[in-house]
Amino acid sequence: MTRDPLLLAWAGLVTLSLAGAGLSLVPAGPVLSLMALSLALLKGRIILHRYLGLAHAPRWRRGFDMVLAGFCAGLAGLALLI
Amino acid sequence: MKYQTQKIALAYFAVALALFAVQVLIGLVMGFVYVVPTFLSDLVPFNILRMLHSNSLIVWLLLGFFGAAYYLLPEESEREIHSEKLAYLQLGILVLGTLGVVVTYLFNLFEGNFLLGKEGREFLEQPRWVKAGIVVAALIFLFNVSMTVLKGRKTAITNILLLGLWGLALLFLFAFYNPSNLALDKMYWWYVVHLWVEGTWELVMASILAFLMLKLTGVDREVVEKWLYVIVAAALFSGILGTGHHYYWIGTPGYWQWIGSIFSSLEVIPFFAMMAFAFVMVWKGRRDHPNKAALLWALGCATLAFFGAGVWGFLHTLHGVNYYTHGTQITAAHGHLAFYGAYVCLNLAIITYAMPHLLGRDPYNQVLNMASFWLMSSGVVFMTFVLTFAGTVQTHLQRVMGEEYMAVQDQLAVFFWMRFGAGIAVVLGALLFIYAVFVPRREVIEPGISQPAE
Amino acid sequence: MSDLLDELPGEPMMWVLIVSELLVFGAGLAALSAMRLTDPAGFAEAQAHLHRAGAALNTVVLVTSGCLAALAVRAAQSGREGRKRVLLVGAMALGVVFLVIKGQEYAAKSAQGIDWETHPFFTFYYLLTGFHAAHVAAGIVLLGLVAVLRDPRATETGAAFWHMVDLVWVLLFPVVYLIR
Repeated sequence: MTRDPLLLAWAGLVTLSLAGAGLSLVPAGPVLSLMALSLALLKGRIILHRYLGLAHAPRWRRGFDMVLAGFCAGLAGLALLI
Repeated sequence: MKYQTQKIALAYFAVALALFAVQVLIGLVMGFVYVVPTFLSDLVPFNILRMLHSNSLIVWLLLGFFGAAYYLLPEESEREIHSEKLAYLQLGILVLGTLGVVVTYLFNLFEGNFLLGKEGREFLEQPRWVKAGIVVAALIFLFNVSMTVLKGRKTAITNILLLGLWGLALLFLFAFYNPSNLALDKMYWWYVVHLWVEGTWELVMASILAFLMLKLTGVDREVVEKWLYVIVAAALFSGILGTGHHYYWIGTPGYWQWIGSIFSSLEVIPFFAMMAFAFVMVWKGRRDHPNKAALLWALGCATLAFFGAGVWGFLHTLHGVNYYTHGTQITAAHGHLAFYGAYVCLNLAIITYAMPHLLGRDPYNQVLNMASFWLMSSGVVFMTFVLTFAGTVQTHLQRVMGEEYMAVQDQLAVFFWMRFGAGIAVVLGALLFIYAVFVPRREVIEPGISQPAE
Repeated sequence: MSDLLDELPGEPMMWVLIVSELLVFGAGLAALSAMRLTDPAGFAEAQAHLHRAGAALNTVVLVTSGCLAALAVRAAQSGREGRKRVLLVGAMALGVVFLVIKGQEYAAKSAQGIDWETHPFFTFYYLLTGFHAAHVAAGIVLLGLVAVLRDPRATETGAAFWHMVDLVWVLLFPVVYLIR
């Protein structure tokens, strides 16, 4: 098994993407919305931390993480109102 | 003044300020027509006054930009302007064109003539021969300043300034394209009107502001340039597609409502960045520059531009809001504070900075100059508030309740009276400014010989 | 303040662009989510015409392409120009695959007579995915450019743009394709 953080990030992203594809089988509703947005948030964090290298810039990472989480929470709020 | 050719700026600034006086005086007359609609209605109808008010504004701001370029380019590129003669020829063409415009508008000469008659497109009413003259003058100007910069030192400030001025001149070419389809006409019309004030002019503004901050605060050029690039990137990113906020109701496809709403909401960012830039530079700066008035105008410019262009623009830029407020006094409120903050204050700042050098005096009469800042700015800010209230009432009565346009105008009379009062303050402030930069030869307050003992 | 800027990996101006793009797409996705509340059934009906499997496959394509771009930056930094170019060409090729799949999706919509005026959902669909696809195309050109330049910093900047395109897609996917 590799320990290269980039390849691990890629493996994580592909796994999460396949899980996202599996969500098309889940019936519409709050569960689907929350799961879809959680997967997006996780994928977004991996891209920011590993691909864009914010893992090495802790202050920026915190800022981006907070805004991204807030944004996804906002979308979740709107999705739950459907 | 380190370079002889910087003197060119003096002629440009003088003509610009003369037109500034004309512009605000016509504005005052219009403010009176709002409350006494029959005033001058036979002699000079309101629509003619409106053309003169807005056209003279644009021309004097442009003359100020040209003057600013002729003043700061030699210092930045460390060489004389390529050709002094061409610079004066350019000014001559622009003055001739301006006089031609005024005469054509006032006496409605050559109505309908292809070459000589006015074109009747708001802000681009100039007869074709004047438009052609503007293009010739712009070509002369671009040749002159580009040659200067190409042969001299290139800085971020000169690069951005030239980018803005080239863009400004090229976009003006859309003034010649006038399709008979009204929706298309309006669409291209905004390529000039919007992409000037919310695109290329912002580049000019950012670079002049950067030059002033460099000179007045003594902050390192490297720091100024970093800010400049960020501001310019934000301005272009938001401003170009922000044109969409003019495409909501003119017959263009519906997706413009979302493109316009989203991108133009971001237009507040460059203005916020410019305000942050100005204050951070002053806060970090070590230099105690004697020209306090110029600093006041520069900070006032950044602040009022943020509120006028940024905040007041955002107020009615979302299409859901604009559906109701479109074309009400809200627009007038935004237009006045945005133009005053962003471009009038900017020109007055560079004029205030340059004049003592151009006239070979001490920083002349700063007290009067600063008084004119406060008088003029309070006037415009008060006018903005009054028009905002008027616009809110108008939106409700006219767009929500569905009352008749003229019936609503009658009910707004009290606001229009207050606006007229604000206009008097602005005119007095403008005249005071012109007096302060040209006439007094000595400072009224003796420069302190030493700091008073604590 | 300046040490905070130094901490940021890569070119600060690219980060200005990344943040600007995220704001635009973020606002668009929020607007779509809000407009969906005005007509949930209509939006769900419109969304049913989308091809979810294709979009999910496209996510895998893009994140794989992003990984190749990130590896290319590493290769450039250790001076392995040949490897960098191969990796960047791979990333670009996957970008083309993304556009082909996207193109098929658009063609299928068009065959069904769907355009951006069919329903408000499709206005958002075409605006968001169209803007995104335009960024993919621009990103392919940018990656090609930095593949030629022998400058690790340029590679890092080009790859950062590409990762932004990735990031936008993973946020766009659930809002446009899944939530209903």
